[in-house]
Amino acid sequence: MNAVLFLLPIAVVLGGVFALLFLRAARKGQFDDLDDPPKRMLQEKD
Amino acid sequence: MSQALGGCVHCGAALEAREERFCCTGCEMAYAIIQGAGLGRYYAEREACAPRPGAAPAGWIAVPTSRGANGVEEVRIQVDGLRCASCVWVIEQVLERTPGVEHVMVSYATGRASIRWDPRRIDLTALAGRIAALGYRPRALGEEAPPDRDLLVRLGVAAFCAMNLMLLSASLYAGWFDSMEPRFAALFRWLALVLATPVAFWCAAPFFAGAVAGLRRRVLHMDLPIALGVAILYGHGVISTITGHEGYLDSLGMLVALLLAGRMLEGRGRRRAVEAAMSLAASAPRTARRQAGDRLETVEAAALRAGDLIDVGNGEELAADGVVTEGAGQVRMALLTGEAEPVAVAPGDRVVAGSILLDGALTVQVEAAGGETMLSRMAAQLEQAADRGMRPTAADRIAPWFTAATLVIATVTCVGWWLTRGADVALTRTVAVLVVACPCALALSQPLAAAAGLGAAARRGLLFRSADALLDLAEVDLVTFDKTGTVTAGTVTVLEADDHALRIAAGLERYSMHPIARAIVEEAISRDIALPRGENVREEVSVGVRGRVDGVQWQLATGGPGTLLLSDDAGRQHHIRLGDVIRPDAADTVRKLEAQGLTVALVTGDHAEVADRIAATAGIGTVVARCGPEQKAQWIQARQRAGQRVLFAGDGVNDGPALAMADVGIAMGSGAASSVLVADGVIARPSLAPILAARRAARACRQIIRSNQRRSLAYNVVAVSAAAAGFVNPLVAALLMPLSSGLVIWGALRVERLVREGDQ
Repeated sequence: MNAVLFLLPIAVVLGGVFALLFLRAARKGQFDDLDDPPKRMLQEKD
Repeated sequence: MSQALGGCVHCGAALEAREERFCCTGCEMAYAIIQGAGLGRYYAEREACAPRPGAAPAGWIAVPTSRGANGVEEVRIQVDGLRCASCVWVIEQVLERTPGVEHVMVSYATGRASIRWDPRRIDLTALAGRIAALGYRPRALGEEAPPDRDLLVRLGVAAFCAMNLMLLSASLYAGWFDSMEPRFAALFRWLALVLATPVAFWCAAPFFAGAVAGLRRRVLHMDLPIALGVAILYGHGVISTITGHEGYLDSLGMLVALLLAGRMLEGRGRRRAVEAAMSLAASAPRTARRQAGDRLETVEAAALRAGDLIDVGNGEELAADGVVTEGAGQVRMALLTGEAEPVAVAPGDRVVAGSILLDGALTVQVEAAGGETMLSRMAAQLEQAADRGMRPTAADRIAPWFTAATLVIATVTCVGWWLTRGADVALTRTVAVLVVACPCALALSQPLAAAAGLGAAARRGLLFRSADALLDLAEVDLVTFDKTGTVTAGTVTVLEADDHALRIAAGLERYSMHPIARAIVEEAISRDIALPRGENVREEVSVGVRGRVDGVQWQLATGGPGTLLLSDDAGRQHHIRLGDVIRPDAADTVRKLEAQGLTVALVTGDHAEVADRIAATAGIGTVVARCGPEQKAQWIQARQRAGQRVLFAGDGVNDGPALAMADVGIAMGSGAASSVLVADGVIARPSLAPILAARRAARACRQIIRSNQRRSLAYNVVAVSAAAAGFVNPLVAALLMPLSSGLVIWGALRVERLVREGDQ
């Protein structure tokens, strides 16, 4: 059970890292346009 | 391959001779540009034929959104006419292969293009010209706010914290029944407090800001009980963590995350509508060609001064008010007067900015430019009139009562238990009352249903600026329409012509950009008439067109109002009748509106006989003719005084006062920019039917909001009584709160279904 004492904070910190990554992505505008990328995906870029 | 066999390779229009490949030089050039850039694949992959290229835009001066290092600039413009994803591809590729262009990104969903280019190597006019040469229509955008990422970021953090809080609390609640080692319980509680702190202080900040702003204006806003709830939840959480008791921190996380989600959904829906309205209102950049000695220079319209001489060419829009000094031509002033009929002008006549020179060429001496023109002055007045201030929502009207009732009950609970059971019990139960009374579901009910209603209306072609206007639509009992451009299509259309005459006329007019020429060619294309090639075609200003078709010399000239006369040298004559046609779905829409018990009226500046004829075709009973812009608004005001709720739909600058006066003002997306800006809603399609669909959405929305409010009020009554009686602890609160919010969310999801049932 003692493992919980350090595993739990590690889990929260790990989760926090992903939350920060999300913040970075949102601030860079990755979620500004959710309609176009699915259409663009089918288009070859050369 | 979607092009018709033997049709124009680029736009698919029918062709006369098998050996011909293009219907006009515009299409031939567009094809050459695309093939020249090595993008021939476009023709194999596209899902729809390309639009026919139009006239190249005149001088472009757009405000760059950002300036990078080494002189590179970025600009956002609107591109109309996108038909499939291949259109986006071909525009991006063609522009990116143009020297001086660094990066191009076109959004298919919104038609926005952002272009990064080096202004020293190529100017924007040339780039816009390349887009136009492909057949798409570039337009300048006004200033736009950058996308709002703040709420999304707050929501993300709140959701992350709320989910972790729930995990921790679930273990604590489980440990309650099973007993948990105190040091683990303490670890869980302190971690929960760490996670709850950013939620309370940062994620919930918009609610605190809203509550404070409301208090400053002496209004009890819906944000106030929310802010109170968050403060109490967090304060209680801090104390119980220190003393080692269960707190409500998990409920705090859930509450803030749900409320932020509701607010973001509403904001996205509204923003999408406003953006779409803005792109409809985007206009050509106002530039003018000014005479400087014996040369011409392109300048911004705002830089013109009284006394300047400007040249106005065929098809151009006037950039300033002034007096014609040279030349002659026909001017269409529909933007101002709302009437489609062009007016002939000659030296000495006065012309105003915003009107379009249909044919001929003019030199105009400027009298007023920029903000001083009649058009700008009218638009400015309209925008002032439209700024009606924020109307309180239904939830805001309940909020003061709600807050007062909660505070009274909390006080009674506190005093009652203090006297009977002492301070400890009294405080616990008072906190429980304040916690469950936090109007999460009530605050969610309006934005969610409104977002669903706005979305349902927008998908059916009517974009609303605010949910209030949409809800007002449900209450309307008088629908008034403007005539030109609203009940009618507002463009020149061929009303009557035999196929033979049309074929020859289309052959003569094939290369012309004149609106009448376009109408003839479009009609020929829609009747599947192959276009012959006119030879020696000469256009004569204000007279007509001469040229040879099939070896016979023809002349196309005006033959009285609304009629074209096509005659050959042998004296054979054909008539082509032109005019404005009623929208195909107008009569049906009027009938359905009347079936719902609404009165429909036609209010127009045109003559009584024209108005009566159109009203009879559309089945409109009430006709008010010869109304100026002010009289339209006065007539609406009189109806409102008589107790009616009025919807007005119109499209011109002259409809502005009426749009602002009506309870619900709806502009046509094809109409004047200023009418789009003052209206509550914009119809994005050339049709009136979206009004019907939006009305269904409005009624569904109203119904759901009411039932949601009843539900959440009932929940609050039950939960607050239970809390006052001492039945609510943190675990019960954690179960009750999402339950009530879930009910409200489920209700909002029914809006779309209700509207869809009405579609059939």
